[in-house]
Formats: sequence, C-alpha cells, structure tokens
Amino acid sequence: MLLGLQAGVHNLPFIPVFGFLDSDYLRIRPDLKMLKDPYTGIEYVVVPAIMPDWAVIHATKGDRNGGITTLSARNDRLLAMASRKTIAVVEELVEPDQVLPGLHEVYCAPVHIDAVVVAPGGAHPTGCPGRYDIDAAHMAAYVTAAKDESSFQKYLETYILAPKDHTEYLAQVGFKTDGK
Amino acid sequence: MRKWGSKPMENKTIHPSERMIGAIARLLKNGERVATGTLSPIPAAGCFLAKYTHAPELELLIYGDPENRLSEGFHELFGLAQQGKIDVFFLSGIQIDQRGSVNLSVLGDYRKPSLRLPGGAGSSMLYAMSGRTILFTNNHNRKLFVPKADFVNATGFDETGITPWRRGGLSHVVTPLCVMAFDFSRKQIILDYVFPGVTVDQVVENTGFDLAVEGRDIPTFDPLGETDLATLRGPVQAKMRQVYPLFARTIWGAETPSE
Repeated sequence: MLLGLQAGVHNLPFIPVFGFLDSDYLRIRPDLKMLKDPYTGIEYVVVPAIMPDWAVIHATKGDRNGGITTLSARNDRLLAMASRKTIAVVEELVEPDQVLPGLHEVYCAPVHIDAVVVAPGGAHPTGCPGRYDIDAAHMAAYVTAAKDESSFQKYLETYILAPKDHTEYLAQVGFKTDGK
Repeated sequence: MRKWGSKPMENKTIHPSERMIGAIARLLKNGERVATGTLSPIPAAGCFLAKYTHAPELELLIYGDPENRLSEGFHELFGLAQQGKIDVFFLSGIQIDQRGSVNLSVLGDYRKPSLRLPGGAGSSMLYAMSGRTILFTNNHNRKLFVPKADFVNATGFDETGITPWRRGGLSHVVTPLCVMAFDFSRKQIILDYVFPGVTVDQVVENTGFDLAVEGRDIPTFDPLGETDLATLRGPVQAKMRQVYPLFARTIWGAETPSE
C-alpha cells in the first residue's frame, strides 16, 4: 500500500514491488500483475498507484494557510501528498511560523492540504501521542456495543447523534483536556 | 492485545514470555541493525535485553520507542529493508507452517474465513528483504503450527528461485516451549532446543508437522541466565513500561520495583 501511495505521489500508473510473487496474494488480488524488468528480465509484481479522492488525516498543529505538523511514525504526509484533496483535523491552530515539527513530527506544506479543521481531542477515542492516550475503556465499550444491532444503535444515539457538536461529544465521552 | 495472565509474577517464577525474551536476545549479534514492527513486545524486550547485555552496539529500530526517531513512517523502514539495511526483523502469524510460511490474514477459505485479520501485506517484502527473520508466537499448538498454511502472506525462503532479489529469510522460531531453527538442507523448521521444564515429546505433540527430532540430541537450555534475568527485570522492564506499558503490566505487575 505504501508503494502504491508513493506511485500516487508522482502520478505514476503503477510501481514494481518486492514480495507477493511467492504469496497467496496473487490468488486473491486481481489488481496485482506480473511484469518483466526490461533491463534485467527479472519478473516483479506491480501494484496500481493509490490516489485517493479524499484523505482525512489527524495533525497536531496547523495554520490558516494549511501548513501542518503530523506524527512521523505514521504515513499521513505521504497520504496527503498522494490524495487529490486532503482535510487535516488539527489539535491546535497556530501562526504559520509556529508550525514547527516536534521530536516525533514532520511538516507538511500547505500545497498538499485543502482544509484545516480545528478540533482539539479530534482523535478520540484513539490517542494523539504526546497529547493524550488512547481511551481504552471507550474503545472496549464500542467493541461491546458493535456486537449487535440494538446496542450499536444505542451507541450511535448516545455518542454520535445526540451531541450537537464536537465539544458536546467530548463532554459526553468524558474527555479531559489534559488527556488523562 | 493478547493477555498472558493478570497475576504479578513471584520473584523466582519465570514467565514464559521472559524466557522467550531471553531466547530472542541470544539470537542477536553485536553490531546488527534490528527492527521490530507493531504489536511486537516480546521481540522489543529481546532487543533491549541483548543491547543491555552482550550486544551494546546493537542498532535498534523499535516501533513505538520514543528514543527511536525515524524521519517518516513505515515506508522509511520498508525502504531500509529493501536496500538490505535491516539485518534482523520479527514476524508472527496465526499459522506458521513446516516450510516457514506465515499466515497473517485468514483461517479457512479466503472467501468464507472463520477468522479474518487486517494488514499483513508488508510481511511479504520484509520476510524476503530483511537479512534474517525470527518468528515469535505466544501459542505453541497444532492450530498454529500446521503442515501447510491456509493462506500464505509471506514465505520463509525461495523454494523455486522465482525471487532472485530475495536477501534473507527464516532463521528461528521462538515459542513459549522452545526455540526452533530453519534447516535449509531439509527445507523445513526443526527443533533446536527446549526450555527447562519442557519435554521434546511435549513440543512434538503440540506441533502439527515433523520437527526432525529422530536421531538428533535435542538439548534443554535456559536462555535466561541470572544476569539476564536481573537486567530483564531492571533496565529492560523500565524501558518496556515506556514502550509497551500494557505488556509490562501483564508480565511484571503494576508496581515498578525499587531497584
């Protein structure tokens, strides 16, 4: 997938990859094709480029121009660069000269970002490393609720449909700004 | 994440995961560059233990370790592996077969599986392009060790020569019972040694394929010596509480011991 995005970044139609050749992926993935390297004659599997119409990524800081910082352990910058349009949900809106990546962050330029949504706590119930942890109790409650239709409906009503905005959602799930 | 048991361990009792950590540490050589992926607490602890004991020059790329600063994302690790810059990687699976192929995706028929897991595609490349790969699993039974995997995400070696670019493959398999090795002449996984308190028969009974034990002397060996154990429960534990807090709580309890 990462190489598919890499191809997407450069608008290339496909990209050769190592791997897959001796796996069962070739049985179940008709989009994986074989191609001979014209230079060496060695066979490779090629994968089509991935160019999402939209990407929604979570970012830590953002400015009004669309410059953002995002976590380096993730592949969000690559995703933003490969997608036709990208929405960045940011924890914090700052001035452009303050969009500076921290120890575990990278900078992504405004040219790749089409909209910035300011939503502190926006990653909940997953975590935003360095800011707040994953809400394990809420995740467990969701997993339990998702087991059957009526409990899932109840979850939807309580946490998604009833809160009229993000602030109410955070209040409803008991999100604390210190993240604990 | 899997739970290994919730009781804090008595001081002298060795948790099966601790022995696996010791076994992994011994498989790593000083100076190697070693990477771990997501959900790999036992390999991570094995890497830290090796580094804090016999392999101080080990270069660690532990996913989730705040001291491990990568420039960006998993594609950076993939690039390193493809360039031959990763000496050792770790994989697990829901099935491991006699040839060392791993299944990380489905049990049963692919279209109507009894279990379906996400991801696993990166394993195909990493298994082929890392210098060598150590498999680890918390379960040693016939459901996991099967003659032939239902679905092959990644192979342990190139049987037919179709991947001339392949760099490496399976070296060892570490389980709660034993360490197994990949034998290139037999083209299969064989039993290497068993942990204290484990019999060869017990391993054979819990493995769904032949481990080539006949006619071979299989030693009993404890990979976790006294110094290793002290280091494991000291600095390695402290490090693991930071990188894999849930795992650390499960193995060593909630309290940090006063060292």
